[in-house]
Amino acid sequence: MNDSELDTLLCQPLPERDAGEFSVALMEAVARHQARPARILSWLMVAVLFVVVAAASVFGALAASHGAFGPQSLVVPAALTLLTLLLSFAVLQSARE
Amino acid sequence: MDDSTLVAQAVSRDVAAFSALARQHQSRVRGLLLRLTRGNHAAADDLAQETFLEAWRGIAGFRGESSFSTWLYRIAYSRFLMGARKRKPDEPLGDWQGEAASGESATLARIDLERAMAKLSAPESAALTLCYALGLSNTEAALALNMPLGTLKSHVLRGRDKLKAILGDPS
Repeated sequence: MNDSELDTLLCQPLPERDAGEFSVALMEAVARHQARPARILSWLMVAVLFVVVAAASVFGALAASHGAFGPQSLVVPAALTLLTLLLSFAVLQSARE
Repeated sequence: MDDSTLVAQAVSRDVAAFSALARQHQSRVRGLLLRLTRGNHAAADDLAQETFLEAWRGIAGFRGESSFSTWLYRIAYSRFLMGARKRKPDEPLGDWQGEAASGESATLARIDLERAMAKLSAPESAALTLCYALGLSNTEAALALNMPLGTLKSHVLRGRDKLKAILGDPS
């Protein structure tokens, strides 16, 4: 094989590859990559939610054992319930994203 | 729409623009990787997907000093090298099966070329593919392979000599 034959052979364009399946798989991977921060955030929020619910349960149990139920003792459970609702809403929103 | 417009849109996280860029360049990137992986279609496509994902993550860092395709080839080649480092020494690369073997001489010549290419080192194979099949200038190819121009030229010369020897040089 001489130089010009080799040049001709080397200069042949690479075989054309169909974009179809590859593009679909790639865009799915891009979508997964984009959803990653939201997924991490939602897991973090679920963890915080779990802690809040656990704290509310502990507080409830303590209050019940001391028999201290008055308007003032409702401040903490109300705050915890509100926090739970807010976090649930945030988890729902990030799950939708 | 040209590359620069699509790149500008992709920088502002426009997925559709990036998808158009990927469709435009996928064939050449996969072709280069297919040659580097010696005809291993699955490995080449995995590396191509990693290449485009890295491009998507880092597109804001693309400063337009080279063409977008050169930048992609650079990512693809570095991904291939990273994969090669991770691969165990006894784990073989693909064994070029060629496209559907027909009796046509052009097809047979291509299969011969691919089999000969598989015997070259990765930098030689990449340098020849970029400079000839993908039509990059020596400067662009050196940029894509992240090597000095002189090194690229010696890879091209050495690769050509080896190919001539493998494919049977009468001289």
